[in-house]
Amino acid sequence: MTRGPVMRRAVPVALAAAVVAGLLASVRARPPSRPLPAAGAGGGTIASTATATAVPEVRRVSSKRPRRKGPVRTGMSTESTPFSIISVRVTLTGGELTRVETVELSGTGARTEAINARAEPILREEALRAGSAKIDVVTGATYTSRSYMKSLQAAIDEARRRD
Amino acid sequence: MTDPPPVLHRVEEVMGIPVGIDVRDDGVDPGAIGDAFAHLRWVDRTFSPYRPESEVSRLNAGTLSASRAHPVVQEVLARCHVLHGRTDGRFDVRATGAIDPSGFVKGWAVEGAAAILARAGARNLCIHAGGDVRVLGERKPGAPWRVGVQHPFVRDRVAAVLAARDLAVATSGAYERGCHVVDPRSGRPPDGVLSVTVVGPDLGMADAYATAAFAMGAAGPAWTATLDEYEALTILAGGRVLQTPGMARLRADALGREPARPAS
Repeated sequence: MTRGPVMRRAVPVALAAAVVAGLLASVRARPPSRPLPAAGAGGGTIASTATATAVPEVRRVSSKRPRRKGPVRTGMSTESTPFSIISVRVTLTGGELTRVETVELSGTGARTEAINARAEPILREEALRAGSAKIDVVTGATYTSRSYMKSLQAAIDEARRRD
Repeated sequence: MTDPPPVLHRVEEVMGIPVGIDVRDDGVDPGAIGDAFAHLRWVDRTFSPYRPESEVSRLNAGTLSASRAHPVVQEVLARCHVLHGRTDGRFDVRATGAIDPSGFVKGWAVEGAAAILARAGARNLCIHAGGDVRVLGERKPGAPWRVGVQHPFVRDRVAAVLAARDLAVATSGAYERGCHVVDPRSGRPPDGVLSVTVVGPDLGMADAYATAAFAMGAAGPAWTATLDEYEALTILAGGRVLQTPGMARLRADALGREPARPAS
């Protein structure tokens, strides 16, 4: 576990500074060279885009407090996963994205979870899924030689050896 | 549709971790794989803090001065210093008191191994090293490498699949590799982070960014959205996955499609 020592010591420091860092990260402007996602450009487009892709856009439009003027609109998208049906509800206030909620409609531990749109700029959210797609290689937390023996990567390497 | 078998394939233990090299090009000197592993072993001998005779250990013991260290050691420490600034201090080779650049060196060493193979004519290859991945080219003409992101709880499942061409992929995570199930509630804050996967042009940088973002906890995903040239996917303890838009475009699974390519 080569990066273990660095990680373990860094965590308490990081937690202490997390609140400040979170605020800093949320107000740091994204470089203009990176194109903004298209969804959210117009008030009514979020819902249809999210419905098509089932991956909601979480776009922070402004680092200032959202203006609470203008019409309030909500959009909804629904996605089925092997475990549950997930819906995402997006609220626009006066054209600004003010709230993103993930609503688990069924499955274990149905819940409603609100995300502060201002704190998570331009991130897309989805529910964790366990897939079994065909892959060539695995990325994951650093494993040791002992845990490699039981890993997905070892199984892939073994299959390759038999080719 | 079966893939052609790798032309060259070898797994060896280096730096205490299994490293696998998979080359898909004909005509590459098989000796180049040996050279790539020799490079990784040299890096381990030079940088390992667990080897008393390594340059890093001698720097820590005070028996070697930084100015007399190998030029490559000086270069790596300089790059770690830059990363310290770029990660707001989260990536810190002195976090444990002693110098330990392992969090950057592993990925950097793999970049060197990939460069050795590329000089020998390899254009399509995949290297994995203890959960970090570097790919060049494609697995076969027109088809990208498929990089699975380890599911944090289910050992034989993936949480995402990335379609990768010429890409470095690094993951920093909390789960133990041998365990079937890790209870996210045991000792973890409700908004805790299970793993951060970072992709981009350089594996050393991706590795350092993943480590830094993981250390930031709940603030990590927002921070990854500010990185130039690098994209990230964070798995939170509550079963939420947050990813940057560029990472979403690399997904071969959730969006149900690989990036469009002209049929060959």
